[in-house]
Amino acid sequence: MIGLSPLSVALLAAVATGTSAAILAWRERPDAGATWLALLLVGQVWWTTFLVFELEASALAAKALWYDVQWIGVVVVPVAWLLFALEYTGRDRYVRPGVVAAVCVAPLITLLVVAAGDPLGLIVADRQVTDTAVGSFLRVEPGPWYYVMAGYTYLLGLIGSVPILQLVRDDARPFRGQSAALLVGTAVPWVSSIVYLSGAIPVLGLDPTPLAFAVSGVAYLLALSRFRLLTLTPAPRRRARQLVFEQLHDPVFVVGTEGYVLDLNRCAAEIFEIDRRTAIGEAATAVIPRYDDLKDEHGDVGPLSIVGLNGRRPYEVTVRDVTDDHGRAIGRLAVYHDVGEYLVQQQRLNVLNRVFRHDIRTETNLIQGYADRLATVPGDEQALSVVKESAARIYELSERTRAASDLFDPVAEPDPPVLMGEIVEEAASTLREEWPHAEVSVGDNVPGVRVPATLRAVVENLCSNAVQHNDADRPCVWIDASTEGGWITLTVADDGPGIDPAERDVLAQGTETPLEHASGVGLWIVKWGIDTIGGRVSFADREPEGTIVTVAIPLSEATEIDETDVESAERSAVKPASRAGR
Amino acid sequence: MVDNTDPPSETADGTESLNRSEPFTFENSPRAPPSNAPLRRESVAGNNTSRSSTRTSSDVASLVTAFVSGAPFIALVAAVETLIATALLGIGSTVAPLVVALVTFAVYTVDHVADADADAASTPKRALLARRYGDQLMIVAALGYGLAVALAIAGGPLALGLTLLPGAFWVVYASDWVPDVGRAVSTALTAAIPRGRIGVGGGAKATDGGHRHVPRLKDVLVLNSAVVATGWAAALTFLPVAFAGASVEPVMLVVFVYFLLRSFVDAELPNVRDVKADAAVGVKTLPVVFGVERTRSVLYGIDVLVAVVVGAAAVAGLLAWPLVGALGVGLAASMYITSLAGRVNDPAVLGVAPDSTYLLVGVAVAGVRLVV
Repeated sequence: MIGLSPLSVALLAAVATGTSAAILAWRERPDAGATWLALLLVGQVWWTTFLVFELEASALAAKALWYDVQWIGVVVVPVAWLLFALEYTGRDRYVRPGVVAAVCVAPLITLLVVAAGDPLGLIVADRQVTDTAVGSFLRVEPGPWYYVMAGYTYLLGLIGSVPILQLVRDDARPFRGQSAALLVGTAVPWVSSIVYLSGAIPVLGLDPTPLAFAVSGVAYLLALSRFRLLTLTPAPRRRARQLVFEQLHDPVFVVGTEGYVLDLNRCAAEIFEIDRRTAIGEAATAVIPRYDDLKDEHGDVGPLSIVGLNGRRPYEVTVRDVTDDHGRAIGRLAVYHDVGEYLVQQQRLNVLNRVFRHDIRTETNLIQGYADRLATVPGDEQALSVVKESAARIYELSERTRAASDLFDPVAEPDPPVLMGEIVEEAASTLREEWPHAEVSVGDNVPGVRVPATLRAVVENLCSNAVQHNDADRPCVWIDASTEGGWITLTVADDGPGIDPAERDVLAQGTETPLEHASGVGLWIVKWGIDTIGGRVSFADREPEGTIVTVAIPLSEATEIDETDVESAERSAVKPASRAGR
Repeated sequence: MVDNTDPPSETADGTESLNRSEPFTFENSPRAPPSNAPLRRESVAGNNTSRSSTRTSSDVASLVTAFVSGAPFIALVAAVETLIATALLGIGSTVAPLVVALVTFAVYTVDHVADADADAASTPKRALLARRYGDQLMIVAALGYGLAVALAIAGGPLALGLTLLPGAFWVVYASDWVPDVGRAVSTALTAAIPRGRIGVGGGAKATDGGHRHVPRLKDVLVLNSAVVATGWAAALTFLPVAFAGASVEPVMLVVFVYFLLRSFVDAELPNVRDVKADAAVGVKTLPVVFGVERTRSVLYGIDVLVAVVVGAAAVAGLLAWPLVGALGVGLAASMYITSLAGRVNDPAVLGVAPDSTYLLVGVAVAGVRLVV
């Protein structure tokens, strides 16, 4: 057994703590940074172990041998530290084979030179044994490559410390503790090495760096056991934040202080059909929709009408400054929220509010008034008739409200597409049943296509309105459909008094006021139904009297009928003879 | 007597330990030890405490059971073996027993923590401790190993190498590195050399898609137990020598052979108990290949060979006769345990008993040293 010097005993303490920490780190694999931290600690233990052998050897040749072997640990430590820091802090995209190989070039050169015996004195120009009060050391005269490697070691140490340093001010206490312990663990040997190279160590030949590994070992052990280093790593946080940015369902743009696009998420690229590779670095006004309207704005802006992948949609844009730790603005963030659905919901609530507040209240007042009259004149047939009609209107209103509710139920499974001819024939049949005195005509060339089932409610309401508000003795309704220019158009014409222009304006604006509102919910069902399938609705006067309502839906929403549909289409096809109104 | 037929388990190959008494269940619960379990000298005493015994005796038995199934007991046995080696070699006291004990303790503590779930059926108390104090046990094990390495460095490069030897053997023995490297080499050779030009040599027992398949050593008949035995015998014999800085003597070879052969017997004895499980998973052990009866004969033969070697060493003056007598006590105990193999189902017989023979030898050697 070697008769150990006090210095060697101190170094063995570094070996014990370093080995223990290495085992605990190795156990945490494959957690982020575990393998590299274990390698770092093994490098430290290696360096220290062979320094002990060097110190305890007596001959120059033996000391030189152990000194050379130490270089393996010397070059492993900085490389492992850098790679650990990158992986541990979530920057693992840099830990690629190419990067690792590049970082290892200088260490490998060093080991090759040492293995070759360093004939040119690149690393060690001269070496001799020096006896001091604390032991017998190998005093080396460093060669030029020695200083290159020293600088390289400090450089890697510094680069690795930067991301760790950022965690010192982290909100999470465990990460603050971990980073502090890691920085102490790496800084103490680092400072020791600098002190050694500066010649400030009074003992000739004594490099205290391995001695400082005892502090490193304790610091890493503390980080592993007390602060749960590697069990609780910040690595996923960085990825998670990136993931949120990328996967957000709202388009997001990051703009620099000079007005150039710095980043945009996947949704922004998809919705606004932007090529991310070319967009970054371009002027924000050239890339970001309606950025001119946002230049001087903060907070919520809009809604702004913007054309994107889903057509023209209203967007509310949240604009925020991006600031650094000192509160200085370093960029801007613009998040686009598609509020189309929200605005439609708002419309529906407004209309339903009006239905309850105005329509039903009016009918209720009417019923109440005529009920009072019936109380005084029990046999008043006119009053009785008014009450019944009013009650029937309330019933119809509730039915239509329920139909509207069903139409926009987000949970309900949509009905399968139906034949256009089937819809038209159903609407015509219903009219003939409910209004026997009405004359209903259907065009000859109804397209043989399947259309969204939503159109059924649209056509029913249009036909119902055409007769209901027609004061003619024998109301006439003409229903026709055709295909033209990529659209399927369906027209419902009548010879009634026409739709009030104010009511058309309300529909066009999409909002009602207490003074300007539609009557009932029928036309709203038409508008909302058409909106949901990306269609449009227009109103025109009919000569000599009446209204023509034209509904157009994109042909892309329709599907051609197949063979199984032919029979059904034939059944539903309305023959000219039978189409004549009664 | 309890029917304790072992359930088939993926890696219960009966070759991973010197004194293996691994998957032992009393409730027919399946147990599958990890495929990369360390070189075991572990004794699993089981949990068949007699229900008729009093509460006090039951508690004591329970404590004893927990102790002998734990890492401290295995470490104690390893330290005693090192002390026996030190006495046989005739060298002064060293820290070698402490180093061996620390390494053994660390390795088995890590293993017990890692296998806590799998051990729940066979050693519930140990598994409970491992689960509850897993992190603390890992820290203690890591510190123990770190201290062992530091002490080994104090013994010089040779002592350090011998201390790390069991770990190196484990890599060769149980891990997939050897098959992986073998597969990579085979693939490279197949790509470079036309098919049919590569001869099939020993050790390659199967093909893998036309490539040579290099098995793990623990899967190879006899070689598995031999590797384990060699690793332990080398560490036990030469670590005290390295620490003492003693010169090479013929007695070292005798001591090495003694521990090598004894360790081989200790490794194969538990395989008798696990013969059904090993056969079920296709692991080749002596009892699987040659049957229990012939295995018992082989193990008797090895014990006799040990007796011959030790006796010859005594005749040659390499070992003192009183020490030979002490070793003879252990050999007699070992042969008795061998005689029970396949006839007794108590797990302690093939689990704890082989290890306990070293305690017996240790006491005998200590007695000899005191008297002589």
